Order: sequence, then structure tokens, then C-alpha cells
Amino acid sequence: MKLDANQIAELIQLTATARSEDTIGCNGCFELMDQFAQAELEGRDVPQALEVVRIHIEQCKCCRDEYDALLTALREIEA
Amino acid sequence: MYEDDDWVERLRPEHGEREAAITELRSILLRGLSKSLNNRYGKQFSAEDIVQDALIRILDSLDQFQGKSKFITWAMTVATRIGISSLRRKYHEDMSLDAFASEDGFRVQIATEESAVVDESDKSELLEVLQRLIDDALTDKQRLVVRSFLSGYSTDGIAEQTGTNRNAVYKLLHDARVKLKTGFAEAGFSADDVTMALA
Repeated sequence: MKLDANQIAELIQLTATARSEDTIGCNGCFELMDQFAQAELEGRDVPQALEVVRIHIEQCKCCRDEYDALLTALREIEA
Repeated sequence: MYEDDDWVERLRPEHGEREAAITELRSILLRGLSKSLNNRYGKQFSAEDIVQDALIRILDSLDQFQGKSKFITWAMTVATRIGISSLRRKYHEDMSLDAFASEDGFRVQIATEESAVVDESDKSELLEVLQRLIDDALTDKQRLVVRSFLSGYSTDGIAEQTGTNRNAVYKLLHDARVKLKTGFAEAGFSADDVTMALA
């Protein structure tokens, strides 16, 4: 498969932003996402133990999309 | 709205107010998901259907709620994953499966002659290194995941096509990215050098 210019740019971006310290994967992220969202919604500092969620969300587009949707939903019901 | 312990107790099968609690939870989830999923992945969706699926999962998983967030936050997290997964499945229905075909050995080719990125000559060496790393450092599975991801598939979409799970796909993609980054570093290109190729 031949990559076009946009795909090459995306691959370079994925490469440049790779972080080896992402340790939890998508399953681990899902298990902690509610706690992470709760802290963020309440404006609290995110506990150190939950920083792994932030790292994973930065690395994983799918989990980032889910987290974005979750915050949108929670802000909607708080409104 | 109920307190967290009340939610869990009222949603249990033996509780007399269960139906009222389900009705209220359904309304909350519907309001949240109707907003959050709207226009995502460019697909029409039935928020009612998604909420129904989510309610079944939530009611089956009440014992997994640990009280480390508010109950509604936890429930919305479950519902959001179900909703997004449903939208992604619809999104993938119209997509080409070419990236999953094995005839070319899952090759990922940098089409340098057609790429606007390589018009600048100082980028060409970086892209030659990238091609070499893709060919030499990545496994077939990693190349398959990389090219299907770059074709627009999400990690759970790739998992569905390859008969594995999202976590495994994520790890393949993550390891591939780290291998490429490490390979660039060994070839004398920093992350900044690599990022500048986008400029």
C-alpha cells in the first residue's frame, strides 16, 4: 500500500509523538477514565496515579475521542 | 438526583423503585449522548438504541462501580464507549478493506515521487530512513496495523477486522511508533527533526 502525502504526514506525527511510558493500554484507560473525568470536571488536580490516563489519551486517538465525548456528555447534563 | 449509593441500590432487581431509577438514568444518558455523539463520525444514530444497550450493560455491571467517581460519571463512561463503538462500526462499513489484504505482504510504501512532503530535498533522507525502518524494524502485524490505521480505521475497527481486541491493536501500533522513533534517533534524527518534516 502506497501512502499519500497526508498519510506520510500522519505517520511522521505518530512517530514524533510516540511515548514509551504509556503503560495502561485502552483497557486500563477505560477502567480509570471516570475517575480522571471526575477530577477534571471538578477542577481538581488529577491525582498522580491517574496521570497514566493523560499519557494514554495523548497517545491514543480512539480513547481521546471517547474522553472528549464523555466530557461533552457530562457537561451537558450538568448544564 | 440520587446520591451514588442510592443509585446502585435503587437499580438492583429487588428494589421497589427500580423502574423509576431506570427511567431517570435513561433520561440522563439520553440527554448526554444526544449531545456528545451528534455529528461524530458523520453518521446518523439512534440515541435511544445506544442508551438501551448501555442500560443493559450498566445494570449487569453494577458491582463494578467502585465509588471512585460519581455514579453518573461512571455510567456515562460506560454508555459513551458503547455509543462511540457503535458509531465507529457504522463508519467502517463503507470503508475499503484494501489495507487488510495480505497479497503485498502488508507493505507500507512511502510514495516519495508523489509526496508533497519530499519536495524539499532536506526531507528526503528522513523519508528514506522511514521507509527502511518500516521495512526492517516493523513486523507484518505492525505494518498491517499501521497501514489500516492510516487508512482511517480506528483501533477497534482494526480489531474487528483482524479478529483480535482493541488493546492488542493499540499495543501493536504503539510499539511500532516507538520502534520508528527509536530507529530515527539511532539514525541521528531527533523528534524535533522528525516533526520539522511536517513544517
